[in-house]
This record gives sequence, C-alpha cells and structure tokens, in this order.
Amino acid sequence: MDIDDILASVDRGTGASPESAAIDHQLLTRFWAAERAVSEVLPWPAPLMERMMDRVRIQIETIEDLASSSTEPTKSTNNPNLNLRLSILQTDLARTQYLLRSLLRQRLAKLSKNSMHYLVQLASRSKNPLADSQSQSQSQTPSQSQPNSQTLSPEDSVPDISSVSDFSPLSEQEASFVHAHQTLLASHYGGSFMGAFPPQLRRLDDNAGGTSMVQGPEMKEVVFVRCLAKEIPVVIPDGDSEEDYGVVMRMGDVWVVQWEGVRKAWKRGEVELL
Amino acid sequence: MSYYDIDSILTDAQKLPCTFELEVPGLGILEGNAGEDIKAGTRIDLPLWLGEMLSIAARIGTSRLVTLDMPEALSERVMNALKADPRTVDLRALAPHFYHLSERILEIFEEEEMVDVLTDTFKRRAAEIADHAHNSRGAVGDGVEFLRGLDEAERQLFRAAHDRAKEMRIWAGEAKRK
Amino acid sequence: MAFPLPRGITPSEIAFLAEMETVTIVPRQRLEGLELLGGPVEPLVPPRRASLPLWLALLLKRQRRANIIPPSWLHPDPLGLILEVESQHQDYKNSFSPPPPLPALGKKPIPEHNTHQMEIDTMLHRRFYLKILQLGGDFTKETPALPFHWVEVGNMLLDAASDDLVEPDQIRRLLKDLREVRMSKMRSGVDVLDAAATGGGGVALTGVGAMELGEERGFVAGVVDNLRKIGASKEQARREQLADQRVNGEYSATQDEEEDYMEF
Repeated sequence: MDIDDILASVDRGTGASPESAAIDHQLLTRFWAAERAVSEVLPWPAPLMERMMDRVRIQIETIEDLASSSTEPTKSTNNPNLNLRLSILQTDLARTQYLLRSLLRQRLAKLSKNSMHYLVQLASRSKNPLADSQSQSQSQTPSQSQPNSQTLSPEDSVPDISSVSDFSPLSEQEASFVHAHQTLLASHYGGSFMGAFPPQLRRLDDNAGGTSMVQGPEMKEVVFVRCLAKEIPVVIPDGDSEEDYGVVMRMGDVWVVQWEGVRKAWKRGEVELL
Repeated sequence: MSYYDIDSILTDAQKLPCTFELEVPGLGILEGNAGEDIKAGTRIDLPLWLGEMLSIAARIGTSRLVTLDMPEALSERVMNALKADPRTVDLRALAPHFYHLSERILEIFEEEEMVDVLTDTFKRRAAEIADHAHNSRGAVGDGVEFLRGLDEAERQLFRAAHDRAKEMRIWAGEAKRK
Repeated sequence: MAFPLPRGITPSEIAFLAEMETVTIVPRQRLEGLELLGGPVEPLVPPRRASLPLWLALLLKRQRRANIIPPSWLHPDPLGLILEVESQHQDYKNSFSPPPPLPALGKKPIPEHNTHQMEIDTMLHRRFYLKILQLGGDFTKETPALPFHWVEVGNMLLDAASDDLVEPDQIRRLLKDLREVRMSKMRSGVDVLDAAATGGGGVALTGVGAMELGEERGFVAGVVDNLRKIGASKEQARREQLADQRVNGEYSATQDEEEDYMEF
C-alpha cells in the first residue's frame, strides 16, 4: 500500500461519515439552486460530485440488500419495520437523484445554448499554440489558417480542445459533450444550408458587422441572493483596473442584484443564491 | 444586440426616417424607382440597420451621406402622451418592439429626458401588467384593451408573471387535493 | 431541449427544498436510526421527541406513525401579530416584517443590526411578550417571525397534519391574509426596482419568503432587465462622468499628498 492509497482511504473514511453526508447533501442542494439561478455554467464541484456519486452507489446496494432480505420470511418477521425503512431509504434516494439529474440537465442546457462560447473559452487555454491561434482567429481574418478555403466547412470553426487539460468550469465529460454537440450541429448546418454559402460565410464564429456569432451568458441578469457575511458590497463591474463598490448588503439580507456584482462573493461563499 | 435573438433582428428591421444629404446615382431602388438616382434632400424610411450603417459610414468620410430622424413612435407627441398617462398609450400600434427600438435609438441619439420618460412608462405599465397577470379570471374590462397594446417586451413580462402565478396556484391546489 | 424548466427554481422545486426543513415530531412507534443520503436520522423512541426533515415527518404522519409538533410561528397568535405588523405598522408599509435571525454559521460573525432595526425588534418583542402574557400562554424568548419557507411549510402542514395544529382554520385564514398583504407590497415595489438596474445597485427584499420569491422572480427579473436596457445609454454617460471625476479626484489627491509632504 503506497501513500496515495493511504490518503485515499483516509479521504474515503471522512467522506463516509454520517455528518459529512449531511453537509455534502446541503452543499449539493445549494449548488443546484445556484446553478438553476444564474445564466453561466458554474465551476464543476468535482470532489463533491465524486463523493455524492459514491454515496448514491453505496445506498443503492444497501437498498438492494435490504429488499432481498425482505423476501426471506424468517428475517422479515424479525424486523416489522423493514418495509417502512425501505420506503424511507428509497424516497431519500429518489430525492437525491432528482437533485443530481436536474443539476446535470440544467448544465447541459446552458452548454448547448452557448456551446461556441464555452469551446472558445476552453481552447484559449490550450497548451498547443497552433490550436490557440486557431481559436483566436475569429477576431482576425477567418480563413487565414485554412489552407484550402474552397473546402471550408462549418465544422472548421469548432475550436479544437483535444490538447486542453483544464476544463474549468466544465467537467471533462461536459467538455467532450459540448465539443461533440457543436461538431454535430456544425455538420448538420453544413449539410442542410451553410454548404451552399460562399466559403467565407460558412463560419460559426464570425464577428463581421460588429455582432459576434459567439454568444455568451448574460452576466448582467439579476439574481436573488442572501448575504451570509457581515457586510458585502456589491461590485460595480467595469473593465478598468480597480474595483468600485455600490450598495452594501448586511448579513441575513435578501437582495435583487446583478449577477456580476456578487459573482466573486458567491465564489467566496459569502452569498447564497436563492 | 444578440446574433441569434429574433427580437433584435425584428427590431433592426423597423423603419426610421432618413434624409439623403448627397445625390446617390443608381440607388433609386430604395424609393421604388429602380435604375434612377436618389437626389440630395430625399426623405425615405429605411430599416434601422441600413439607416444606421449609412449614417455611420458617412461619419468616417468627409461629408454625411444620410442623416437620421426620430421615428414617429418616439416623437415629441408620443413622449407627451406617455408623460400624461403611460397606461392609455397603445405601444404595440406605435412599434411592436417599442422598447427595443427605443434602446437602439438611444444608442444613436443622446436623449437623457427620453430615458427618464421611458423608464417611468415601463415601471407604471409593469405594475399594471402584474395586476392583470395575477388575476386568475384573465383579462376583463379595460384590461383587454391595455393588454392588447403591450409591446413585445411587455408581453414577455406578462407571460413570465402569469406563468409563475399559475404554477403557484397549481402547486397550492395540488397540495389541497392530496 | 436538454432541460424544459425556466431559470430560477419553480414553485414545485421550492416546495421540494422546503421539505428539507427540520421539524419536531413525537413518534408513535419505534424505528431504528437510519443513514440517509441527506444525513443521519436519529432512532425513534416514543414518546421522545425527534427532529426530522419535513418530507420524512410527513411520510410518517400520513401513515399515522407520528405526530408533528407545529413550529413556534405556526400558531394563531404569532401569525396574528405578524399580520398586524405587516398591515398596520408604519415602518413596514413598504417592506416585509423582519426574518428570523440566520442560524449560526460556523465561524461567521454575528449580524450587526443597525440601531433602528434593534428598536423595532425590541418593541415587537415586548408587544408579543405582553400579548402572550395576556392570553396566559407560555413566554417564548423568540420574537415571532416568518421563516423563509413559511408558505410551503404552512401549506403542507395544514394539508397533511391539520389535526396537529392549534385552530387550523384560523391559521389557514391568517396565512391567506398574510400572503395577500405581502404580495401587494411586492407588486407595489416595482417603483424602486430601477435601483437594481444599474451596476453596483440593488433592491433589498429582506424578509421575503421562498415561495413569494419564486412567484415573483420572473416578473422582477424581467422588469429589472428591461429597465437596465432602457437606461443603458444614460448609465454609460454616468460611468464616463464618474471615470472623469475619478481621474480628477486622483489628481487632487496626489496634490494633497505633495502638500503634506511639503509641510514636513
């Protein structure tokens, strides 16, 4: 047994304690409500999700064991509460599964809505300088890096994320989903109508005419927050250097504010999204 | 403006009065006279996107090609009516995307007072919309006419408020039926 | 479509959240402790009271395996008092009655009320105390306040456990009146919503309930987003002005520093 295994077993040990189950469940619930409240995809909470999926798997096994023991007549007379316990465990499992499914589906909905935005964001951190320049080409001449512009197809504007290792805010599976999704969509566009356009009009990341085809989430939309720290000033977002602050929220207050004004405070855990 | 947003696209198609400052050969097609020239001083209603493009392009050059005017929907007369009682004005008849159009126009013209009038208009009409949206019996009496005069943004607001109120009633109703 | 629901949790999802609130029950039968995904559940031993999530309490109640002890606010007297404050108190004409204090949050600091709020709390507290004494009831240390999930918890308990409540019909009436008074406040608040439409701005809704928020969130968000777009050009002008002021301000600040330095 090497040190990694020992550490892993310690991690599992704490993860499996009943108190941390309650805390994780609450974290998941809050994260779900937050994900449902804002327009952008929030950073994937990988350790939390791994712990939750582990617990769900174990709980399913527990329920299966209990259910099979209930069919044995000797045991069920020993415990008259077996059916009650089963129904409680199953209800609890179904409630947790609802949270997980709703969370994942909400994220997929945002990803498919703003797929190009997230792909461009991922590709911009690519270690491969070639892929990097390609992802930036949207702001320059589109067909610059394409050797044969006559065969240019919409798929060529899907950013290459094959060499990306940091998928934040997405999970690795979400990143591969959004890439596959956009590639399919681009090839469908190409086959159904874009193929008939002149080559220079076949891109999906053009920004000619001052309007970019790559649409990101609206960060100025309002959210409802509860202030969990003593005082939280709302940030006045501006491209400029220093941060300006607007109104100040106090602990326990509920406010309607623009998301970008409290985004950092949310990441610090100082506000809760309602 | 958002690339795939149908409301932005429709807003940009709304007409704006434009006056040509220069004679333009061969552009008579805009007036319905294909092949003819457009004379300086000609006034034509052009879609917002085209009018804006021509006026901006002119700014870069030495002389103006086109000057833009306020559309009728945002005229002095309409502003006065909105100041008097915003709830009685049929915005939809003025422009189906009344507020979106105003937002675009305000990007072009600096009109601080218009911002104030429109802000007040929107707030007062929104309060009225909320009342109608929460009325489970649907629109009645004067309400019908008011709701018919909502612009697209207001209709979406009405729908959002109405749907949530309805969901709430369904939830509460179900809770009683169980 | 990967997901059919609108952004922001819906009324049925809000009720789902409310079912995670903790309530106290008196079990009518034994049940060994359980390890749930939502956390551990203590063993049930009648007649010892136990704290459970609401969904589990309701499950047991429907099977007549437990009685639910109504939360302290879900009685006619505190509800009547809150209704009085909401509808007649001068200070709460345009805002909600104060929410209960946040539960202790680990090492987070204790909320610091402003003195005005403190006075109101004390006054409410005293009136409640007197009223309870007049009625010959027990004195509770807590000022009555509606919890965040008051609509849902009230509704669900009236529905499934009305026989555990004191004067359920009276409670039902009071909850309905409270909802009406508070909803009309929410709607008349449209006038101040433009404060949330500018960067760094916001509108306080402290005291609002989860379901009230759920019902109005689409409307409020729609109003603010539209007001932001209508005011965008003016906001831009305001920012440019602020930026100019800052440049000038910094300039005079450096001048001041130099003067200080000169005095040395």
